[in-house]
Amino acid sequence: MAHSDMWLEHCGHASDSQSDWVTGLHPMDVLLRGERLPHIWCQGCGLGTALTTFIGALQWLEMNHNWDLDKVSVVSGIGCTGRIAGYIRLDSFHTTHGRAIPFATGLKLANGELKVVVISGDGDIAGIGGNHFIHAARRNLDITVICVNNFNYGMTGGQAGPTTPHGARAVTTQYGNFEHPFNLPYLAAAGGASFVARWTVLHARRLEWTLREAMMHPGFSFVEIIAPCSTSYARWNLEGRGLDPQKLGRRGLEVMKHYQQVGKIAHDTHPKDAAVKVNEKGEINAIIEGIFLNEPKPEFRAAIENQAQSAKERWSAVKKALDRRPKLCGRTDFIDRTDVQLGGFGGQGIMSAGRIIGQAATIYDKIEACFTQSYGPEARGGAAGSQVVVAGEPIHHPHLIAPSSAIIMSQEAYAKYAPNLTADGILLIDDGLVTLPEDHRRDLKTYGIAATQIAEEFGNSRAANSAMLGFWAAIVGAVSREAMRQSLADSVPPKTLEVNLSVFDVGFEKGLALKKDA
Amino acid sequence: MSDQGLLTGEHFLLGDYAAAEGAILAGCRFFAGYPITPATEIAERMSTRLPQIDGIYIQMEDELASMNAVLGASWAGVKSMTATSGPGFSLMMENLGLGIMLETPCVLVDVQRGGPSTGLPTLVGQQDMMQARWGTHGDYEIIALCPSSPQELFDLTIRAFNLSEKFRTPVLVMTDAEVGHMTERVVIPQPEEIEIINRPQVRKGDMEPDHFRIYQDTDSDGAEGTVSPMAIAGEGYRFHITGLTHDELGYPAMTAESSEWNIKRLVKKIRAHRDEIIQLEERYLDDAEIVVVSYGISARTSQWPIEQARKAGIRVGYLRLITVWPFPEKRILELAKRIRAFVVPEINMGQICLEVERCAAGQAPVLGVHRLGGDILEPQQVLGAICKAAGRSDLLQTDLQNRQTER
Repeated sequence: MAHSDMWLEHCGHASDSQSDWVTGLHPMDVLLRGERLPHIWCQGCGLGTALTTFIGALQWLEMNHNWDLDKVSVVSGIGCTGRIAGYIRLDSFHTTHGRAIPFATGLKLANGELKVVVISGDGDIAGIGGNHFIHAARRNLDITVICVNNFNYGMTGGQAGPTTPHGARAVTTQYGNFEHPFNLPYLAAAGGASFVARWTVLHARRLEWTLREAMMHPGFSFVEIIAPCSTSYARWNLEGRGLDPQKLGRRGLEVMKHYQQVGKIAHDTHPKDAAVKVNEKGEINAIIEGIFLNEPKPEFRAAIENQAQSAKERWSAVKKALDRRPKLCGRTDFIDRTDVQLGGFGGQGIMSAGRIIGQAATIYDKIEACFTQSYGPEARGGAAGSQVVVAGEPIHHPHLIAPSSAIIMSQEAYAKYAPNLTADGILLIDDGLVTLPEDHRRDLKTYGIAATQIAEEFGNSRAANSAMLGFWAAIVGAVSREAMRQSLADSVPPKTLEVNLSVFDVGFEKGLALKKDA
Repeated sequence: MSDQGLLTGEHFLLGDYAAAEGAILAGCRFFAGYPITPATEIAERMSTRLPQIDGIYIQMEDELASMNAVLGASWAGVKSMTATSGPGFSLMMENLGLGIMLETPCVLVDVQRGGPSTGLPTLVGQQDMMQARWGTHGDYEIIALCPSSPQELFDLTIRAFNLSEKFRTPVLVMTDAEVGHMTERVVIPQPEEIEIINRPQVRKGDMEPDHFRIYQDTDSDGAEGTVSPMAIAGEGYRFHITGLTHDELGYPAMTAESSEWNIKRLVKKIRAHRDEIIQLEERYLDDAEIVVVSYGISARTSQWPIEQARKAGIRVGYLRLITVWPFPEKRILELAKRIRAFVVPEINMGQICLEVERCAAGQAPVLGVHRLGGDILEPQQVLGAICKAAGRSDLLQTDLQNRQTER
């Protein structure tokens, strides 16, 4: 069988009406979507060459490094270069403008076996997608980004962009570009890319060698390809001005030759010194080319995988603690809706105390509870407040409707929350921290306990909230002692468990005693 | 009990965490996000949990990137999710559109806060409901679910994954700061007790790559609402997909005819399965002359006022939209024909209220109850609206107003 027939078969389009085009005569046909040709690019555009070198590099990798091209994904954004994804016969993704890199990031992270290549234009990668570009470089994820730079937004008609040289003309810079362009290799290197190179499309062979190397590089590799825009950029700038617009191919070629003439191969140039240079008229007069950076660095996906072991150990510990939770049979008496306010300052464990009550009620007493807290920076350091509703039936309204008890551990919290308590409500204070003022509400049943002091006596002032919890459980009685102790045990660091439980018990006993007296 | 890193049993769990655990049980193994209050805890939980079960968590540089990374991961065959709130939801709109256009299964949780713009970062809102429906440009149908408790945030996140996989489309979980930041009992069943749906998919070797059509209709105009099998990257199908209007092969096809085919396909696959997707909770509708239509936290807080109104002799019914999009048009119209009025409580200036009005088609008036973000609706505010709709304003002067009666 002739070699061409094999291609034909491989392409599978011989019997398919929509693919009359495929001839199998060209050695690259197998990687082209023949049925999509002819392409949309202008005559004299550099993209054909860019695509050819890319396919050449892939075929070389297939041949010499056993690459399975089924595992190669090509992702592009929007623009002339973005269309490459539509012409190459690989898994190919034509995404939104600027977003090819994050899409590729998802693909590669989700399946590390894939070789993922982003090909897009300068406007896509350095303009609208600039942020994604530098962050991908920073992560050093193992993908290759190929940016075909033609110095302007070609598809929309030749507007200036982030790579348009200073002083150069474009549809939108008719008086010369007053902005300064990005030096893309420098941007990539500064971001953290571990492989950075640049070629013009007229250095096709070197470009292809570099593309092979970039795709094999284990980390974020970036290749800038300088290409002529025969229709738009060439029209306005000295490189192509005056050439017959009827002969776009010719104009593109002349510009390409110009780029090659001003090109200077200088491998290992510091990317900072690799800016595309222009004369005072905005005409490009120096393009440094070569491989500027090739430094292995830890790869991103591998770094994530390295953490799996610690993560699994953490899970085992969590799981073990969960499995140790005792099964309590729950309480059988009906608990009326009980709205509890907790208040103090940051660091006292006001949030955890509310959570411990809710957890005790739901998991161990098997009744309902809803815990809410105020969030945000304003909740840190200063006043802290949390609320928990405990009830024997479903809680429709999650906020406090009628707070009938409060756990108060600071003067500020007293001032804020005591007025909201219901008539005859139960106010529990750390009386080492809260002084009742003259106009204290006489209708409230107020109980005090030196919680912080008790906790300090046990050697851990941070256990003060446990004393308050014991005190509350004994006096209010909405949640059982056993449930509270279990919930506490689930919630505090194992080292402090004993102290917390002891402090809780002291609070509980004191509460019981005071309640009896009352 | 086999331990595959899956959490099971009863837990006193934060709503946001429940969403994360639901996702994990549904099979989600990729999360990309960007910190934003009040959705951050979903990302935090995923960052701890996913590495424990060989999943990937990544914090992207912004929400544009997050949404795209989620799409990329889905096309690599991994169930994926992101979570955000208002400002981030706005940024995700661009690539939510791409997800819809590419027919990509994935889940987006929006923990709504007060807006517009930076708005009320830490406080509740339900102001993104219309953005959920129409936020990305162009014509499409969307699926959006609305939980009213941490338990339901867990359950509906699983359902969201199932629907997204079944219909090959992004699904939104439209929760809010109140539910996301609320801690309640969440019961997590054993994995084998949970129904998990996986996308229709062709695997390597299933068919000749050249016979594969990534957006194939089973009939000529897609009238049945076709969901066709998808291929994923790396399996040899060498498919192409694009955000451009495309044909069956996924190739750009920019004509009015292609657009008609493409858009109808996106719309029909959801409209044709509306009855299956729409989930409602209904109570007291048989004798209702007033119907409270609500969703999420506002539906939950409407229950007490409804009970109070019924005790006072007002025949009021309860319709909770568990699925908000697609909207239960038929049900609303049916009710409109026989009731006196609708009352629609929500934490915005009236969004779903407009939808109820549209579907009621002038058959019954619609009374909105609004609160503009920052806090949940006061029970007596809803009660007041019910009384007003029933023409029983006299009741407002009674002890019904006394909020303490809920005790």
